[in-house]
Amino acid sequence: MYDAVIIGAGIGGLVCGCTLAKAGMKVLIVEQHSRPGGYCTSFRRGKYLFDAGPHCFGSYREGGQMRRVLEDLGLSQSMELYRPDPCDTIITPQRTFSFWNNHRRTIEELHEFFPHEGEQLRAFFRFLTDAKLEAFVQLRRLTFRELLDRYFGDRLLKDLLALPLVAIGGLPPSKMSACVGAQFYTEFILDGGYIPAGGMQHLSDTLADRFRALGGALLLSRKVDKISVREKTAVGVNIDREGFVPAKFIVSNGDARQTFLALLSTDDMDPEFLMSLRGMQPSLSSFLLYLGMDEGYHPPFLPGTVHYHFAATDPEMAYSSILHDDIRSGRWYAIRSSTDSKALYVEMLTTYQDEEYWRRNKDQIMDSVIAKIEAEAVPGVSRHIRHREAATPATLHRYTLNYQGASYGWAGTPEQTIVPGLRKPSFIKNLYLVGHWTTLAVGISGVAYIGHDTAKTLAKRRKCIFPQISA
Amino acid sequence: MADSIEQGIKDIIADVAGVETEDIGPDTNLTKDLDIDSIKAIEITVAIEKKFKVSVRDEDVPKIMTLQQAVSLVRQLVAQKQAASA
Repeated sequence: MYDAVIIGAGIGGLVCGCTLAKAGMKVLIVEQHSRPGGYCTSFRRGKYLFDAGPHCFGSYREGGQMRRVLEDLGLSQSMELYRPDPCDTIITPQRTFSFWNNHRRTIEELHEFFPHEGEQLRAFFRFLTDAKLEAFVQLRRLTFRELLDRYFGDRLLKDLLALPLVAIGGLPPSKMSACVGAQFYTEFILDGGYIPAGGMQHLSDTLADRFRALGGALLLSRKVDKISVREKTAVGVNIDREGFVPAKFIVSNGDARQTFLALLSTDDMDPEFLMSLRGMQPSLSSFLLYLGMDEGYHPPFLPGTVHYHFAATDPEMAYSSILHDDIRSGRWYAIRSSTDSKALYVEMLTTYQDEEYWRRNKDQIMDSVIAKIEAEAVPGVSRHIRHREAATPATLHRYTLNYQGASYGWAGTPEQTIVPGLRKPSFIKNLYLVGHWTTLAVGISGVAYIGHDTAKTLAKRRKCIFPQISA
Repeated sequence: MADSIEQGIKDIIADVAGVETEDIGPDTNLTKDLDIDSIKAIEITVAIEKKFKVSVRDEDVPKIMTLQQAVSLVRQLVAQKQAASA
């Protein structure tokens, strides 16, 4: 009998598992993939090591979410981190600007372009880094567009500040929640870009090793196919080829639709909750191109820095183009060289299409993306490519079961920012969810925070509900 | 009605803060005693708004620092709503 079974070894599940094991609980994590990490995995092709999804995490400043979690787990010294400066560069036909590690430099650069907005730029950045709790709560119904309107008059400046959110959050300012946008800025843009040496798999492996060292059991390549509920209480899971495993608490780090619609029976569900769940919209997915480069390749930009190329400066147009135009016309893309310059990555957000569509079109899309970056970003790139492959929304779905290969869980609109019941459904006792399908915490630091916070809650709850167990 | 508002808010705070309802007294401070951060503060506010079908005004947000404050604010909002629809 386990104290807790966690479904999914994404960062949220791993952090939750480590924190529970550290509190003395007996924990099992079940992961369908052959390696831990969820989107934070890496894969090898000959001499090339590629990050499958994200390449860095944020919120590692003193007191940042990610730093607090890693410190609590005794892991803040376990990873060698590199932070490129700048982390991100935005390139548009009208302006190019960067997010530097030192915010003052970013503000100064923008101030030069927009001399009349200097005071407002400082106030906006101050808000993002030091917002009081109440001020943040007051944003809950606003869009990011409305937040920008409170600070700035210049349309071009507002567009430029919204563009990175289209790229990393998948929504234009008119649709993105101000809370979500502010979080992306605070935790991901202004304090982002921490790249673990050895790739993102190293972060996941470090957490998995810590989990095992704390006595946790990690079962890979096994799928949970059912969460058992008796008398409105989650009592265990059914694992393929293993059978029923009882547990006092069940934590799902999986996709929310998968958890509620596939792992639970309709009889266990609250009909009103089910209806609202079915109506929720996932975020966009990604097309990711992985290129292995020869020794003659020298990136024309700083390795590690992400360069976002936009064909136009209007973020609403960029978003609309993602939704409606063929991906080959690529109105924007993000390009980055690995820190050792051996790998080159191109990412484009896209809508979901089925596996068959990608099978038919993948090669052609790769050709057109390579031609595009050759013309716009890396002259002569095609001569240096020794390996190429791509992940599509169907690939992302296959490896992680994220609905439609969604990159960020639910679309971060004000309506979907907080949905009570997604972290802890009121109609099933002892069932919790962690990960990017639960609430507004964004990015890797956000899911680490949720996993950590949920584990602390469970450790407290266990003492109350099951006092006979000693730590 | 009064009791159900108090119990409902207590349940929400307990759920979000990860404590038992017995641990929450009328003057328990959400940030100081229960470690409520900005994400949890939004979770509590939105859950209260959805549960009691009210809308908390911006100027009232800083008033939700204790259970007692939250209860009196929600009572007031519910009463205003009932008066408006009467």
